[in-house]
Formats: sequence, structure tokens, C-alpha cells
Amino acid sequence: MNVRPGRVIAYLFLIVLGIVGAAPFLYLAVLSTKKRIEILAQVPPTLNFNWTQVTKNYNEVLFSQGMLSFTLNSTIVVGAATAAAIVIGTPAAYAFSRLRFRHSERLASTILSMRFMPPIAVAIPLFLMVKAVGLQDSYPGLILPYIAFSLPLVVWIMIGFFDEIPNEIDEAALIDGCTRVGVLWHVMLPIVRPGLVTAALFGALFIWNEFLVALYVIDSRAFQTISLGAATLVSAQRPIDWNIAATVGVVTVIPILLFSLFVQRYIVRGLTAGAVK
Amino acid sequence: MSLQNTPAAATKYVFGTRDEPGRATWLLLGPCLLYLVVFSIYPLFHSLRLSLTDLTAATGTGNFIGLENYRALLVDPQFWNAAKNSAIMMFFSVAIQVVLGVALALFFNLHLRGSWIVRGILLLPMLMTPIVVGVMWRALLNPDWGLVNWAIKQVGLTPPDWLGSVGMSMVTVVMVDCWQWTPFVFIIVFARLQALSQDVFEAAQVDGAGPFVTFRRITLPMLMPAIVFAAVFRAVDAFRSFDLIYGLSYGGPARSTTTLAFFSFQNGFQFQNYGYAAAVAYMMLIILALGTTLMLKFVQIRPGTSR
Repeated sequence: MNVRPGRVIAYLFLIVLGIVGAAPFLYLAVLSTKKRIEILAQVPPTLNFNWTQVTKNYNEVLFSQGMLSFTLNSTIVVGAATAAAIVIGTPAAYAFSRLRFRHSERLASTILSMRFMPPIAVAIPLFLMVKAVGLQDSYPGLILPYIAFSLPLVVWIMIGFFDEIPNEIDEAALIDGCTRVGVLWHVMLPIVRPGLVTAALFGALFIWNEFLVALYVIDSRAFQTISLGAATLVSAQRPIDWNIAATVGVVTVIPILLFSLFVQRYIVRGLTAGAVK
Repeated sequence: MSLQNTPAAATKYVFGTRDEPGRATWLLLGPCLLYLVVFSIYPLFHSLRLSLTDLTAATGTGNFIGLENYRALLVDPQFWNAAKNSAIMMFFSVAIQVVLGVALALFFNLHLRGSWIVRGILLLPMLMTPIVVGVMWRALLNPDWGLVNWAIKQVGLTPPDWLGSVGMSMVTVVMVDCWQWTPFVFIIVFARLQALSQDVFEAAQVDGAGPFVTFRRITLPMLMPAIVFAAVFRAVDAFRSFDLIYGLSYGGPARSTTTLAFFSFQNGFQFQNYGYAAAVAYMMLIILALGTTLMLKFVQIRPGTSR
């Protein structure tokens, strides 16, 4: 193995990149261990940790301020919405991939274009709709709009996955007397399972951070999601308690960190599904 | 979309019609279409109707006032200010993110040992809640004790007033948006780069093409579909950017970072001027529809037909 100066510079750059990339997160983590006053006094913050203070900050954020229950709320809402979007979206994607019907192309691109719709254009009507059926300040009040938000993405990703399965498989099953719906249920779903995981993760990812509709629909703290809870925590108090704000930051990053550790390859797959071959 | 003429489509057509004319199609498609009509299409029309009224939370019921909101909007300097901010944000965010994202993709294509760890770190920001990203950078850029200002002072420079000055705030917002979303461009271009056949590069090497010529004439054209795809996505998202602004600058100071989405939000949520807010949102929608239709004339992003 020959060591060239270019290679050395590349590795140095990689290390710098890693440090610069991680620094904001580490900074947040360090701030979350401090007293309010220490953040203002120690510039840059020192690395001697006072565990009573750490416990105090995290207790405050997770329990007193309710970040733990916000995380639970997000999980419930996003989980339910994603599951529903998969159930509704997968058959549609299969139809778009396999069946030819009038305007199918236009219909597919219309659905996909809904991914580009600005939430601000539908937030008020959605809020009024949810309110009209008495579902404001409830899980269903968020789940119903969120299904619509993740559906286009689910359909899109699943079309990509169905397109990769050769048509001969369908033909064989159809000749054996299977119906279209039967083909989807008995033959396609087992094959396309990795696709379902990708679509679900991706659909979930896009509503996990949703903020605007939640802002309209949810009033009480009992149903706040992570983004909403974080927003009220850091803007309600003025001046901000930065140690608490930093702790909120760390608490929101942890699920994302776990998520990306375990499913990074699916995320990459989803981002590039179909579109960038 | 001349898909009907391709052999693959012909097969599909035969099988779609021979076995079941319409029932299966509607069984499979129906729920999805119905859902989207109720929860996406109808709200859009509702918004349009709202935008033609003077509905506020105070009056309760809105009167139909035709295009009055749109007329008011076109002579509202604050609307134009927001439109200008959205355009600036979209243009610079996309331009910078594409350049940096492609550069990162090429760099990671060297496949240095241990680079997957750094790649994992770099991907984190785009998964983060934008609100938290905003708060995080408010800490990093804090004029009194923030880490960034401390570092700048260490090397003997004077840090700018990141979020406090009208001239600097939009620069800061774009900067933070780039921090969060360059990874998106990077990972898409990187994935494409991995999928490229190595033969062309070997052939170019045999023909004596230098690294610059190879990049300019071979790598870049082959990456183009991925770059355009990522750029379209980023353009739309940057144009309708709201959460980050809410967490980072709240539109200020002096409305210097008020984007169209934030402007609409202020009218709707804060001032409860629903009709006017809906009109602003609809202008965004029209601009987006025109923009994406125009872009999609040149780019094909539907999976399955992109091959």
C-alpha cells in the first residue's frame, strides 16, 4: 500500500468533517449538563459534569415538562398514520405499477405532486374539518391529516418497488386462477416486504417532524407531539433557559439517532427508490 | 409520457384488461383516491373558497368578497417582501446545497476507511426537527456565549451579528438550511454515483482523460438526473420553508426573514385573518404549481418511467 500525500490530506479532511459535523450535537449535549448560569459564565463550556445537575435537567425536561409523553404522543400518532397509509397506499401503488387504465399516468403524477403541496395551504381547512367533527385536541385529529401527508410518499416508493418485480410472476399467478387482489395479497406482499419497510420508515419520517397542522389542531399539552412540545418549551419562556432548551434538543435527537443507526440503509434506499437509477 | 408504446406497457395493458376490466382497479385504487380527495383535494378547494372571503376569527362568518384579498395582496409591500425572501432563500439554498452536496458525494466516493461513520454523522441533521435545529443554532450563534462566536474570536476575527441584524439574518437562515439539507443532496448524488458503471471511467482513463475532463465530460452528465431530482425537491421545500424560520428567527428582525409561508401563518394563526392568509397560501400554491409543472417538463421524476 503506497501512502500518497493526497490520501493523507483526504483523511485529514475526513477527520475535520467528522469533528465539524459532530460538534453541534456534542455542544448541545454538554450544554444539557449545565446550570443555567454556567452556560452564560463558561465560554466555552467546560467538560466537568455535575451529575446531580444532569439528573435535574433531564428530570425537568422528560417528566415535569412532559417531553417523554410528547415523544409517546408522536409515536402513537405517527405509528397509526403510517400503518394506515401503508394499508391504503400499497394497493394503489400496485395498481399504478401493473394495471393500465385511463389517465393512469396523470393520476399517478397528480398524487405524487401532492408531496409538493405547502402544508400552509391546507392547514386551516384541515383544522376546520377536524374541528367540525369534534376531533380537535385528540389523536385522530392529527392521524387523519397525517395519513394524507404520507400517502403520496408511500405510493411513490411502493410503485418503485413493484416496478422492480417482473411481470411474469403476476402472469403466472393470474393464469393459475388468482385474482388481481389475490395476486397482491398472496404473491406480491411477501416479495415486496423490504419495500414496505422502506415506505413505512419514510412515510413516518416525513410526519415525525410535522409542526404546522399540529399547531392548529392540538391545544392541550396532553396531546402535543415532539415538534410542538419542543416549540412551546423553547418559546414560552423568555428569556430561554438554555440548559433546558439544550436538554430538549438532546431528547429529540436521541430517537432520530437510534432510528438512523438501525435503519440507515432503508433511508438511503427510500430516498433513491425508483427515481435515481 | 409515451409509455403506451413501450413493450413493457403493452404487456401491462393486455393483462390489465383481459383479466378484470374495472373492478379490481377500483378496489385497489379506490380507498387511496377517496382518502386524498377528502383530506387533500377538498381542503385545497376549501382554502380557495376561504381566500375569496373576508373571514376572520373576530367576524366568525366570512362574506364573499371575490378577488379582493388577491388585489390587496398584490399591493401589500409585506407580501412582496415575503415573496422576495422566499425567492432569495430558495435560490441560494439550492445553489449552495447542490455544489456542496456534489462535492461531498465525490469526496465520499474515495471510499476512505471509516468514512461511513462520518457519513452517518453528516446525515443526522436532515432527520432533525427543524424547530430544534433552529433552537440549536440560536445557541451555537449566541452573541454572548455561543460556540461559533467564541471560535471566531479565538482566531482574532469579529463575528457578525448573525440573527440580530437585518443584513445578516437571511444569510444565517440560508446557512442553517444548508447545514440541515446539504446531506439530502449529498446522499442522493452519492447513491447515483455508486450505481454508475465503472467501464466508462476506465475507458476514459485509457484514452488519457485527466481527472477534470473526466468529471466535466463523464461524471457530471451521468449524475445530472440525480442532481436535478435533488434540486427540485430542495427548491420546493426551501420555497415553502416555515418550521426552521419559526424556530430560528421567527421572521425577524424587521421581517427580514419572513417567508411567504411564515407571512401566511402570521396572518392566519396570529392575526386570525383567515381569508387573507388563505390568499397568500394560494399564491404560493400557484407559484409552486407553475414552477413544478415547468420543471417536470424537463425532468421525469415518476418511478418506473425514469428508466
